[in-house]
Amino acid sequence: MALAATVSGVISGEQGALALRGLVKRFDTKVAVSGVDLDVPIGSFYGLLGPNGAGKTTTLSMAVGLLRPDAGGAWVLGHDVWSNPVQAKHLLGVLPDGVRLFDRLNGAELLAYHGLLRGMDPAVVDQRARELLDVLALGDAGRTLVVDYSAGMKKKIGLACALLHAPRLLVLDEPFEAVDPVSAALIRDILQRYVSGGGTVVFSSHVMEVVERLCSHVAILADGTIKRVGTIDEVRGGRSLEDVFVEVVGGRTATGDELAWL
Amino acid sequence: MAVSVTGPASVGVRPVSARHFARLKLRVMRNNMRGQGWRIALFVTGIVFGLWFAAAAFFLLAAPGLADDVEIAGLTAAFAGALLVLGWLLLPLVFFGVDETLDPARFALLPLRPRTLVTGMFVAALIGVPAVATFIATAGMVVSAALLGGWAAALAQAVGIAGGLLLCVAASRAVTSAFATLLRSRRVRDLATVLLAVLAALLGPLQIGVMSAVHNADWHGLAGVARAIGWTPLAAPYTVGIDVAEGRAWAVPVKLAITALTIAALLWWWSRSLESAMVGAASKGRVRAEHDLTAKPVAQLFPRGTRWLRHDRYGALVAREARYWWRDTRRRATLITFAVVGVFVPVMVNVGTTGLIEGQSQFDASPTLVSLSMLFVGVLAAVSLANQFGFDGSAYAANVIAGVPGRLELRARLVAYSIYIVPLLVVISIVLGLFLREPAWIGVMAGTLFAAYGSGLAITLFVSVLGAYALPETSNPFAMNSGAGMARSLLSLLAMIGAAAVSVPMVIATALLGGVWLWLALPVGLAYGLGAAMFGAYLAGDLLDRRMPELLQTVTPRR
Repeated sequence: MALAATVSGVISGEQGALALRGLVKRFDTKVAVSGVDLDVPIGSFYGLLGPNGAGKTTTLSMAVGLLRPDAGGAWVLGHDVWSNPVQAKHLLGVLPDGVRLFDRLNGAELLAYHGLLRGMDPAVVDQRARELLDVLALGDAGRTLVVDYSAGMKKKIGLACALLHAPRLLVLDEPFEAVDPVSAALIRDILQRYVSGGGTVVFSSHVMEVVERLCSHVAILADGTIKRVGTIDEVRGGRSLEDVFVEVVGGRTATGDELAWL
Repeated sequence: MAVSVTGPASVGVRPVSARHFARLKLRVMRNNMRGQGWRIALFVTGIVFGLWFAAAAFFLLAAPGLADDVEIAGLTAAFAGALLVLGWLLLPLVFFGVDETLDPARFALLPLRPRTLVTGMFVAALIGVPAVATFIATAGMVVSAALLGGWAAALAQAVGIAGGLLLCVAASRAVTSAFATLLRSRRVRDLATVLLAVLAALLGPLQIGVMSAVHNADWHGLAGVARAIGWTPLAAPYTVGIDVAEGRAWAVPVKLAITALTIAALLWWWSRSLESAMVGAASKGRVRAEHDLTAKPVAQLFPRGTRWLRHDRYGALVAREARYWWRDTRRRATLITFAVVGVFVPVMVNVGTTGLIEGQSQFDASPTLVSLSMLFVGVLAAVSLANQFGFDGSAYAANVIAGVPGRLELRARLVAYSIYIVPLLVVISIVLGLFLREPAWIGVMAGTLFAAYGSGLAITLFVSVLGAYALPETSNPFAMNSGAGMARSLLSLLAMIGAAAVSVPMVIATALLGGVWLWLALPVGLAYGLGAAMFGAYLAGDLLDRRMPELLQTVTPRR
């Protein structure tokens, strides 16, 4: 297994599936991300953990070219996302969170749109789209527009859009949120098969169980900086991931005196 | 502590009043602007423009009083009042949208009685630049009434203009809300189109009235019309002061009653559609794509009529946009409104000035006048794209991720929109040509239309890349975000002026060249429009390439 995860920024951005260097983003007066360095080795299943508002979505948006960083840079398989976006975006599949799809299309139309947008051959698009709809059990939805899909189905069709052009790096923001257990198992299977085939997955989550089960590497993000990073065993250090997470993030527990009126 | 299990927890519950809604609206407006310099700047611009127009109108309406002319005062009060009410009715549908800072769907879960909700939303709707500007402007009528009829007339008129303002706001809310409901439902959206046509047609009689006023100068005939309008809800609140001044004090309570009844009816109507809007946000109603399941995904994406497109990136962009112009309620509303206004307004403007008044022509419709009105229609068509990225909202992220080149993106959007608009423009020029019984002018009309549409697109593309703004995610296709929306529509107004300036050579050519131009106008106009649009897409595409993530940020609604 590749153990090339480096904490320091010594290695240049030319290596690994995804490399982030000194990413900073300010919104008005609030600093959302303050200097994130991250190296995602090729073939890893990388979990980005963090509490709500830690800056996960902001970091991933800057990594894939959706949000221009105030400082720092991002490289996908050696291609600079911000100076050479065409190459980088070609190798990249993204499932953004809190972003609408073109939801006035039905599932098949949406996949066809994404495929053609990626410059794929129409025949290949047809074949892969059918297959994805079948595997993700979205074929039954038929002519229903994506806007009328349930939250879980929207996640699945979004994932299908990200997978369609067979990218070498998948960046998924909260892929398991609002997904029922059956679909979650299905998505896990698909992602594991993708990684064993040489692909790389980076995803954000705040669900410990999922991360512990899937990931080879973990980074814990809080208050806009990386607090812990490494292989999952390094980060855990013999304890449960949840204990480490709570310790790093720091939280309060209810004492029982408050909310007595409930 | 023991808590009742079935009854509501009533500790510390106080009744909700309209005051809370007003404060909520002010607070939301302030928070929307916090830390956003350009929003503040736009808001201030909006206020300045609003005050400027209001002051100008104030002096215009006060002038008859200063000139001590009761008859003119009666005329201006009636016509200005009617114009104002009609403006409040129609302009939100056609141009500006309504300020939906407070989205009714947000109140769905709160234990509010419909009555409280409507009163609250109504009071909140009164807060805003247009309402304040209207109030200031109509205050000019109070000055007139005071100078002509003393303090009693002034008092009556003051009550009148307050009622008038309530009427304007209630009418605009009720109508946009009802249309939003209609356009959401598939069954009756054709009915909505017809209704919109009727509303636009209301401009016709008004047009005729104004024109005959200008040309006949038959003040006595007009006074009769003004008196009649004064008894309709359109101008009833605005003519009470004059009634007192002319010694018809008995009319005041009757007219105020007419106003009050109309407001009550409008509010009742509004509350009905508010309820449906609140539920509508939860379930949007199923819109289904119509074609067979066995079709291949790629073939499914391309709607009928776009089969000529190649199945590649450009084709996919055009096909998706073309589907969106029909499936997205907001875009469909834009499209339908333009279709109605684009056909009716030029017919009314040109026919109204020629033949309809007692079958006698005041002055002949000339190719120049016709081509001037075509200029307006063409530019109006283009301006619908001013916030084209705002229509997409955060869904635009898909194109950013795929790295679609700016020029390709813009060209595809122009072509998809033109699939609907170009046939419409052709229809408009033919219909108008036949209506005026001047088929020879069809070439000039179509040529000017295309030139204006093309140059309008060129300007609008820049506005759409630089001046995009997020639309609220509600089911109301006319909804705009916060008070800044008004200032934003100034931007598209400026775009219209710019576009009109660019295509004015067509009108000048029509005026100067005479007969030859009847033949030349169509090819020249087509080339002019096409060239302008392509050049615009070329330059704006470059700009888009550099601004894609920033554009995505501006069109993503803040959550």
